[in-house]
Amino acid sequence: MLRSLKGLVCRSLRLDRGCALHTAARDGLSSVSSQDVPAERPRAVFHTSESDPAKHTEQHEARLYNIPLEEVKAVFPHGLPHRFQQQIQTFNEARVMVRKPALELLAYLRGSNFAHPAVRYVIYGERGTGKTMTLCHVLHYCSRQGWLVLHIPDAHLWVKNCKELLQSSYKKDRLDQPLQASAWLKNFKTSNERFLQEIKTQKKYMWGKQESTEEGRPLGEVVEQGLARVRSATDAVGVVLREIKQQSHRGSFRLLVAVDGVNALWGRTTLRKEDKSPVSPEELTLVHNLRKMLRNDWSGGAIVTTLSQTGSLFKPSSAYTPQELLGKEGFDALDPFVPISVPNYSPREFESCYGYYLERKWLQHEKAHTEDGKAELRFLSGSNPRQLDRLAGPL
Amino acid sequence: MKLPTVRGLPASLVPCRIIPVRWSRYNPSYLEPEVKKELYQKPSEELTEEEREQMELKVVRPIKAAPPALSSSVFSDPMISKFTNMMMKSGNKVLARSLMSQTLETIKRKQLEKYHKAPENEKETIECNPYVIFHQALKNCQPIIGLSNITKGGKTYQVPVPLTDNRKRFLAMKWLITECRENKHRRTMMPEKLSQELLLAFNNEGPVIKKKHVLHKMAEANRAYAHFRWW
Repeated sequence: MLRSLKGLVCRSLRLDRGCALHTAARDGLSSVSSQDVPAERPRAVFHTSESDPAKHTEQHEARLYNIPLEEVKAVFPHGLPHRFQQQIQTFNEARVMVRKPALELLAYLRGSNFAHPAVRYVIYGERGTGKTMTLCHVLHYCSRQGWLVLHIPDAHLWVKNCKELLQSSYKKDRLDQPLQASAWLKNFKTSNERFLQEIKTQKKYMWGKQESTEEGRPLGEVVEQGLARVRSATDAVGVVLREIKQQSHRGSFRLLVAVDGVNALWGRTTLRKEDKSPVSPEELTLVHNLRKMLRNDWSGGAIVTTLSQTGSLFKPSSAYTPQELLGKEGFDALDPFVPISVPNYSPREFESCYGYYLERKWLQHEKAHTEDGKAELRFLSGSNPRQLDRLAGPL
Repeated sequence: MKLPTVRGLPASLVPCRIIPVRWSRYNPSYLEPEVKKELYQKPSEELTEEEREQMELKVVRPIKAAPPALSSSVFSDPMISKFTNMMMKSGNKVLARSLMSQTLETIKRKQLEKYHKAPENEKETIECNPYVIFHQALKNCQPIIGLSNITKGGKTYQVPVPLTDNRKRFLAMKWLITECRENKHRRTMMPEKLSQELLLAFNNEGPVIKKKHVLHKMAEANRAYAHFRWW
């Protein structure tokens, strides 16, 4: 009870000032008068001032925690869903709900033995239930703990709508994707600056005839090479992945491989070669290297992946289970994994989300404040987070 | 339906039934469907005389089928439905409705961003409710007086004429939609264009308000011909 009072009082401190302030846990409890607390109580129950995911427990379930905007730019240069980014822009703050699947994953990560091979976690669920947001929550935790985070925001972007396909100079029958690789390298650099100086290459790499990176140079140089020479960006990505995987067992850093839409790696592509024959995912260098990362033959970290039907190719819209989306090949490649199911909002989570929208003045319609409006929103959305967000947009 | 008797014509040429083709084909005894939940939840003591009669009639009379646009949702607004129908092209109501909801969302986002950045004393002046903005913008765009073509002595004159409420609403909506469709850059999306126009009209600025003023000026200029109107 005392902890929730603390959360309320911190909230009321925030609410006293007109504009939103981004703070972590506050200690100035004594300055708040006690008569503020009962008035704010119905509104502030769904917030928590605990902005460190490491301290999130079941008590924080169905509550929203704040991520400071500078951290958002540093930790998530890519990877947040588009509508959530718009919401951050409109509300001027990033609030993520703490939900059961994320708490489960965090408990597994805390208790895992990093001397053993990396455990694979697959987050699955129906459309719009919050798989990507769960992944982002876990990512935030890992980056706060100082892990090296390898985040592929959407693997589907690598298997479709690719304007340039170059033949790989390294292996004759593989295809390079310079644009996608250089975009990913740029975002990787933003989120993992300090590791790029610490990790050193273990082998000499030749980029074409003249340029090369010597042994023992920091990994940042490989990334710079990939960004400067876009033609060799894909090979730079491959080198980065290889180096990180080989050095993770030493224990100087923990590695988190986070892939959203992992079913893209084992599906079909919509890309075609110059002779109009279809390209299969193995023929793409990026996909090939990423598949090697997802094997559990390395230790010192964890692999967290998400299935996604939304961007997938040639999969029916009702498919959501790992068996349906990964297919036989993908399932066998990822087997054994820990499945984590993400359901729709529970009644408490729905109340929390509804209260948050009301508090941020997102629900402007007069009827939306009534019980009838709330019941209608609950019915129409079916407690699905995405549907609720879409419905609350025009209201 | 009784067969009409026509004298002088052989039986084979008498029409079998006179079937109504235009307007409502329902028998006059059919009642309109009642969608408002509050009416059914009221206990019988609180009902007024007419409502009590209506409820009694409902027991004996048949009821018309509810049209698909009629909604029992608390969020439904007849003005918004009318506007959506006017935006619709070739029956694609799904697209028209999604454009309308995106427009309302865009208006809300723009206003909320302004609200959060504004200093304390100005926060009350910023209106964030997209429905209020929509209704006020439409009201601001409605002309008071219109022009009608009347031909007298071979010449056609533009005669100032009073407008009914329906006509005013229709003209306001039509002008907004045409302005967005025709006078904007080809690549801008409709929600963006519409939200911009609605916000301008809410503040009594913008091309649609100008068009209304032009119409008023023309009506004022043609005051001399007002007596040509006979209705």
